[in-house]
Amino acid sequence: MKTNQTIAGVAAILSLLAIEDAGAGLNVPVEYHKLDNGLKVVLSPDHTTPKVTVAVYYHIGFRNEPRGRTGFAHLFEHMMFQGSGNLGKMEFIQLVESSGGNLNGSTRFDFTNYFDIVPSHKLETILWAEADRMRSLDITEENLVNQKGVVSNEVKVNVLNRPYGGFPWLDMPQYANENWHNAHNFYGELAELEAATLEDVRLFFDTYYSPNNAVLVVTGDFDSKEALGWVDEYFSSIPASELPEPPDLTEPIQLKEKRASKGDPLASKPALAVSFHMPERNTPAFYAMGVIDQILLQGDASRLTERLVKSEGVTGHVAGGINALGSMYNYYGPMLWTASLRYDRTEQTDDILSMIEEEIEGLEDELIDEKTLQRALTRIRSDWYDRAGSSTFRRADLLASFALFDDDPARINGIEEEFFKVTPELIRKTVREYLGTEKRTVLTIVPEAGDEAENGGRS
Amino acid sequence: MTRLRRIAATAVVLSLALPFSARAERELPPEGGEPKNFSLPEAHTFSMINGLRATLVPFGNVPKVSVGVMVRTGNVDEKTEEIWLADIVGDMLTEGTIRRTSSEIARDISDMGSEVRVRVGADRLSISTDVLSEYGLDAMRLLAEILTTPSFPEGELERIKADNLRSLSVARTRAQSLANERLSEVLYGDHRYGTTYPTKELLQGYTIDQVRAFHSKHFGAARTHVYVVGDFDTKRMEMMIRAVFLSFAMGPPPSEQIPNTSSERVLHLIDRPDAPQSTIRIAISVADPSHADFIPLEVTNTLLGGSFSSRIIQNVREDKGYSYSPYSSIRTHYHDAYWVESADVTTEHTGATIGEIFFEIDRLRNEAPSEEELSSVQSYMSGSFVLSNSSRWGIMGQLIYADFQGLGDDFLTSYVENIHAVSADQVRDMARRYLHDENMAIVVVGDTALVRAQIEPFGKIVN
Repeated sequence: MKTNQTIAGVAAILSLLAIEDAGAGLNVPVEYHKLDNGLKVVLSPDHTTPKVTVAVYYHIGFRNEPRGRTGFAHLFEHMMFQGSGNLGKMEFIQLVESSGGNLNGSTRFDFTNYFDIVPSHKLETILWAEADRMRSLDITEENLVNQKGVVSNEVKVNVLNRPYGGFPWLDMPQYANENWHNAHNFYGELAELEAATLEDVRLFFDTYYSPNNAVLVVTGDFDSKEALGWVDEYFSSIPASELPEPPDLTEPIQLKEKRASKGDPLASKPALAVSFHMPERNTPAFYAMGVIDQILLQGDASRLTERLVKSEGVTGHVAGGINALGSMYNYYGPMLWTASLRYDRTEQTDDILSMIEEEIEGLEDELIDEKTLQRALTRIRSDWYDRAGSSTFRRADLLASFALFDDDPARINGIEEEFFKVTPELIRKTVREYLGTEKRTVLTIVPEAGDEAENGGRS
Repeated sequence: MTRLRRIAATAVVLSLALPFSARAERELPPEGGEPKNFSLPEAHTFSMINGLRATLVPFGNVPKVSVGVMVRTGNVDEKTEEIWLADIVGDMLTEGTIRRTSSEIARDISDMGSEVRVRVGADRLSISTDVLSEYGLDAMRLLAEILTTPSFPEGELERIKADNLRSLSVARTRAQSLANERLSEVLYGDHRYGTTYPTKELLQGYTIDQVRAFHSKHFGAARTHVYVVGDFDTKRMEMMIRAVFLSFAMGPPPSEQIPNTSSERVLHLIDRPDAPQSTIRIAISVADPSHADFIPLEVTNTLLGGSFSSRIIQNVREDKGYSYSPYSSIRTHYHDAYWVESADVTTEHTGATIGEIFFEIDRLRNEAPSEEELSSVQSYMSGSFVLSNSSRWGIMGQLIYADFQGLGDDFLTSYVENIHAVSADQVRDMARRYLHDENMAIVVVGDTALVRAQIEPFGKIVN
């Protein structure tokens, strides 16, 4: 056991925060450290249940994958479960599950994450295992071939053999964005997935999977000092790497409406999605968009739901929000706000678009009243308590994102306040600046399958 | 009043023995420390004179509270010519009460920070919400109002039917929905569980009188159980529940329509021209949750195909790469259960996948698993149980399951112990007793032209 080891190896403790009071809101403990090799470490104890969450986020998402290798960032995520220096194929998974834990990984625009939720007494075991695969990926040609099969089946089940498969989450960024990094098929063209080599895998690992491109977050039931000792022991000797210059992710300002339509051989009803580009992260307009999203789109009392579902009856549900693959808190580059719905073939798409346009313009024509603003803020607060206050993964996700993208995980205790600064005037200004029709991308799905229910169905 | 007992610490996570190959140069993972105590949060339960029951569980450290009202009705109470009437009733519940319009309901619950969600299942209907603690009592009042005094405005019915028609149309284009529909038909036949979808004509024909009649006939206090989990004042919440459900009529006792199931080895092939994958279901009826074999069966399922480390996933996914998410599960209704393996597999590997699934079933029937493999599975299951009891909805879900199936007060407190009491021989015996592959029904939704020859060796094919 190495429990009482000193933390001498942790040379650069940037800040050790113990926030006493963050105003009216939730107060999340945040301890932030950086190892010599650049690894960011965030600890946030919560003793509600005897579980710990270990989350490792690498600052490499599908925006940054190599050209000609679409889908590679995600394929690579699968490879991280295929074997490392001391753990053979399946052994990482078995180690976590036989410890009484659950695990998963996911690939997103700006990060790839790996997380394990285990009984608290297994924290050291899991830190050792995560360090092992950060230090030394060890996979074979056979593993790669196997996971290409798995991933191509993943694309088939989620996209190719499914009505509305990539709509709008996979399709829309390809139409709304101009910069290749934001606009390519990030699940991957099957032929490009198939072309990936072991050398590609090695290169990707060496380039991006280094401690100075990652953050390790531990939340849940643990002792900080003890945890930091283990982190130091297992992670501090992993060498840093020289990171390439980050790519330019900027999107040109959109000056003209874009429209696209896509045939779907499996769909029986038309569908429509409308997207707008988000204001830059962490600006006042960004928080205003969080409020606008609530007012327009979230919940049964939202304006688009009231209009399209209840008064016009064109659909049963309007879906969407900020960041179709996450939340407004866990991305870094350009992002879209999207609303989408399915409707009957008898409806006119342009009529529905006009209704959406009118609801958006309504926010510009008339300043929102205090009650509407308060309702949106209450909903944001209610959601926030379950994110930031979660004892497991959702809190870890926020801390990892804020450490990785802003070098400031303690931001978690200032987010609520930013929303409270949003005024009706700011909302009007933001709508004017970001939600004009020239700024939108409209994507429609043309149904190519027969409508069985329309024709009577089975008896 | 029921008190949940403490679970012995050692029962939660047994010591770990890993099936590592003995490569000498390898470093072994650190063992970790001693397992910590875990106890289920304490529940306060009470019943009212009209038969309504309530379970209150203070839990957590954020100012939120989850409220769920579970009613023992659902599609099972529909007659043959009423398919999805329960779903329409569920949708209509939030369209207005005698005191509030649908927009008022939407705004009021939004002002508490949430939504009202109504879910209609085969034998359970739930109305739930998740609000800031300061609104817990208001939320309870609102849910009671929705359940007991809906106004069922006729003007909204056409719209609700149109929404359901759209859902029906989309369901009919999904391979998984079609596979599940056929499987239910095969397993349950004429029992209400055997029919999944209505015809368009049937759905279009429902009237507001039918909606009202279904509600008055199948809803009532005796079928209702209220759950509250989170940060709230127990005493005040109990007073509120007693007040808002005081005049709720007792209504009928829960209907107990337990199906007689049987299955045979027949392959049901549903054509999906040009499909790049085949959607497979392989299923058989098993002992239900009230049976002593059920927990051993759960262990057997987890080891065979119900966890990432399980045999079928290792084989079909991690060895062969035929599928992304093959998994097995035990699906339950009230006192009824079946085991099912589900997989979406590359079309050309349809036959090979079915072969591997049967290979793994037979292997387990022939030989008990090693102690190492079993204890890994048991640790995984107890860890998952603790995790399920680490969130408001998780806790509520466990309580609802135990109450609904009538498993008794000690079911949850002794669950971990019972998982660990299962022996390796018992796992093999469960496979022998229940997983008769010669009687398993197989459903394949895929490209018939490419699939038929592959699956012919497995039995008689019907379309």
